[in-house]
Amino acid sequence: MFSVFKGLVGSRTVSKEQLAPVIAKMRLALIEKNVAAEIAEKLCQSVSEKMEGKALGTFEGVASVVKTAVQEALVKILTPKKPVNVLRDALAAKSAGQPFVITFCGVNGVGKSTNLAKIAFWFLENQLRVLIAACDTFRAGAVEQLRTHRTRLDAMHPGNNIHLYEKGYGKDAAAIAMEAIQYARDNKYDVVLVDTAGRMQDNEPLMRALAKLIKVNQPDMVLFVGEALVGNEAVDQVVKFNQALADNSQADQPRIIDGIVLTKFDTIDDKVGAAVSMAYITGQPIVFVGTGQTYTDLKNLNTKAVC
Amino acid sequence: MVLADLGRKITAAIRSLNNATVINEEALDTMLKEICTALLESDVNVKLVKVLRESVRKSIDFDEMAGGLNKRRMIQTAVFKELMKLVDPGTKQWAPVKGKPNVVMFVGLQGSGKTTSCAKLAYWYQRKGMKTALVCADTFRAGAFDQLKQNATKARIPFYGDYTESDPTKIAVEGVQKFKDENFELIIVDTSGRHKQEESLFEEMLEVSNAISPDNIVFVMDASIGQACEAQARAFKSKVNVASVIITKLDGHARGGGALSAVAATQSPVIFIGTGEQIDEFEQFKAKSFVSKLLGMGDMDSLIEK
Ligand SMILES: Nc1nc2c(ncn2[C@@H]2O[C@H](COP(=O)(O)OP(=O)(O)OP(=O)(O)O)[C@@H](O)[C@H]2O)c(=O)[nH]1
Ligand SMILES: Nc1nc2c(ncn2[C@@H]2O[C@H](COP(=O)(O)OP(=O)(O)OP(=O)(O)O)[C@@H](O)[C@H]2O)c(=O)[nH]1
Ligand SMILES: [Mg+2]
Ligand SMILES: [Mg+2]
Repeated sequence: MFSVFKGLVGSRTVSKEQLAPVIAKMRLALIEKNVAAEIAEKLCQSVSEKMEGKALGTFEGVASVVKTAVQEALVKILTPKKPVNVLRDALAAKSAGQPFVITFCGVNGVGKSTNLAKIAFWFLENQLRVLIAACDTFRAGAVEQLRTHRTRLDAMHPGNNIHLYEKGYGKDAAAIAMEAIQYARDNKYDVVLVDTAGRMQDNEPLMRALAKLIKVNQPDMVLFVGEALVGNEAVDQVVKFNQALADNSQADQPRIIDGIVLTKFDTIDDKVGAAVSMAYITGQPIVFVGTGQTYTDLKNLNTKAVC
Repeated sequence: MVLADLGRKITAAIRSLNNATVINEEALDTMLKEICTALLESDVNVKLVKVLRESVRKSIDFDEMAGGLNKRRMIQTAVFKELMKLVDPGTKQWAPVKGKPNVVMFVGLQGSGKTTSCAKLAYWYQRKGMKTALVCADTFRAGAFDQLKQNATKARIPFYGDYTESDPTKIAVEGVQKFKDENFELIIVDTSGRHKQEESLFEEMLEVSNAISPDNIVFVMDASIGQACEAQARAFKSKVNVASVIITKLDGHARGGGALSAVAATQSPVIFIGTGEQIDEFEQFKAKSFVSKLLGMGDMDSLIEK
C-alpha cells in the first residue's frame, strides 16, 4: 500500500537515470566553453554525486537544479581561498626595507613580458619604485622589448622610478635575478619584476633552470602566466610547472606557484573555461587578468561575470 | 610525438570494435563515444566533433549491411575518412615558385609564433637555394623589429624594417618593393598579432594585404589553443585571403586538436609545423602521412583490409 506513495515521493527526488543525460549535456557545455575535458568531467561527477537522491522543490526541474549546482561549484573554484592583496604585500615589504620580488613564468608567447610591464605601470601608479630584471636572455628581442616598455613607462611616470636591470643575452638568468635584487636593495627600488624566458613544460633542462632561479632567489611571489586561449593543455602546464618547482626545491615547504596571471582575456568571447581549469588544478587565485595590449588592460577577475 | 595520445585512443576505440561479438548500433555508439571523447580532450572544436560523429553514423545503415566483417570495415573506413577531413581540406599546399618574386604575409593571434616562423620559413627556402628576405611590418609590439632583426642576422637573411615609422602598410610596401627590385624570390612579411574583437586591427591587416597583394597568406596557430580557435580562424579567413596554416609549438605535450580546427575553419592546409624555438625546428606537414602516423597506419591498413 505504501509503495504507491513511495513511487510518488520517489519521482520528486533526483534519480541517477534522470541525472545522466542532464549531466552529459552540462559536461559538453563546459567543454564548449573551453573548460579542459578532464576538469569538466570531475566537476560534473562531483555535482552528480551531490545531487543524486536529493529531493526537488515543487517547481524545480532537474536541469535547472544541475545548472545552479554547477554554477555554485564554478564560483567556489574561482574564489580565492585566502585573500590576495599584492599591493598590501609590496607595501609591507617596503616598510620592512626589503624589495618585493615577483617572478613571472609560463610557456612561450603567453604574455609574460607584456603583463609584467602592465603590472610595473600599476605599481608606478601606486607610488612604488620598480626594477625590471631582464632574465629572458634567450629569445631574440626579449631585452629590447623590456627596454622599450621601460622607456615608455618612464616617460609616463617621470622621476627615475623605473629601471631595467639587464646583462644582454646568453647569461645565466638566476645570476642576473640575484644581481638585480641586490641592485634594487642598494638603490631603493620597492618592487623587482623578474621576466623569464618562455619554456615548454616538458623541456626538462629549461624547467630545471627556472626552478633554480626560484630556489636561489626566493621571490616573494611566483606568478604563472597562462593565456585564456589555452585548451586542455592548461592542466598539463600548471601541473608540470608546479612539479618542476617542487622537485628541484629540496625544501620541506617547496616554493610553487602562488598565483595566476590570466592573459588575452579579450580574445575569447564567452569561452572562459581556461580560468576554471587553471584555478581548479592549482587551487591558486587568479591574481591579474590581462584584457588587452595597453598598460591599463589589467583587471581583477570578476567571478560573477565568468560563471 | 604530435597528437600521439589522440592516435592511441582512436586506434584503441577502433580495435574494440574488432573484439565486439556483434556489431550493432550500440557497439558503434560506444566506439564513437570513445573517439569523440579523445577528440575533445585534444581540443578539437566541439561542433566539428559533432559533425564527425553524425557523418559516421549516417554513413552506416545497419539494415542494408551484410555480414559482420563488412560492417567493421565500413565503420573503420568512415572514421578514417572523417579524420582525414579534419586535417586535410583537400586543397593544394602552396609552395613558392623559383625565378619570380613570391610575397607571403604572416597573420595570426598575439604570441602565436609568427615572427619566429617567418624566420624559419625564410631559412627553410634559403637552404633550398632561394633568394629570401624578411620584412617587419609589426610596428606595434615592443621590440618586434629587434626580434626579427636578430633572427634574420643570425641566419644571414636580408631584412627590412624601420624603428620610427608607425604605419605598417608603408613599411610593408617599401620592403616588398625594395626586395622585388633586388630580384628576391621569396619575400616574407611579418605583421603584428591581432584578434577579431578589435576591429581596427583587422582593418589594418586588410590594408596591408591590399597594399602588397601577397601570393599567399599564412595563418599561424599555437598548438595549445582550445575552443576559441574556430571563431578566430574563421574571422581571419573572412577578412583576408588566408590560404595556408602553420601550427607552432608542437614540441612537448601540445594536443594540437584546436589548431587543427583552423584547417576546417579556413579551408586551408597546414604547410609547416614548428617543433621548437630554434630556426631549424620546423617540419613540412603532409596530411596523409600525419594521419597514418596518428592512427599507426600499418594497423589501420590491416584493420581495413580484414
Ligand atoms: N589581446 C591581448 N594580447 C596580449 C595580452 N597580453 C599580452 N598580449 C600580446 O601577446 C603577445 C605576446 O606577449 P609577450 O609579453 O611577448 O609574451 P611572453 O610570454 O613574454 O613571450 P615569450 O617571452 O616569447 O615567451 C604580444 O603581442 C602581446 O601584446 C592581453 O591580455 N590581450
Ligand atoms: N617551443 C616552441 N616555441 C616556439 C615555437 N614557435 C615560436 N615559439 C616561441 O613562442 C614565443 C612567441 O613567438 P613569436 O614569434 O614572438 O610570436 P608572434 O606571433 O610573432 O607574437 P606577436 O608578434 O607578439 O603577436 C617565442 O618565445 C618563441 O620563441 C615552437 O615551435 N616551439
Ligand atoms: Mg617574454
Ligand atoms: Mg611577432
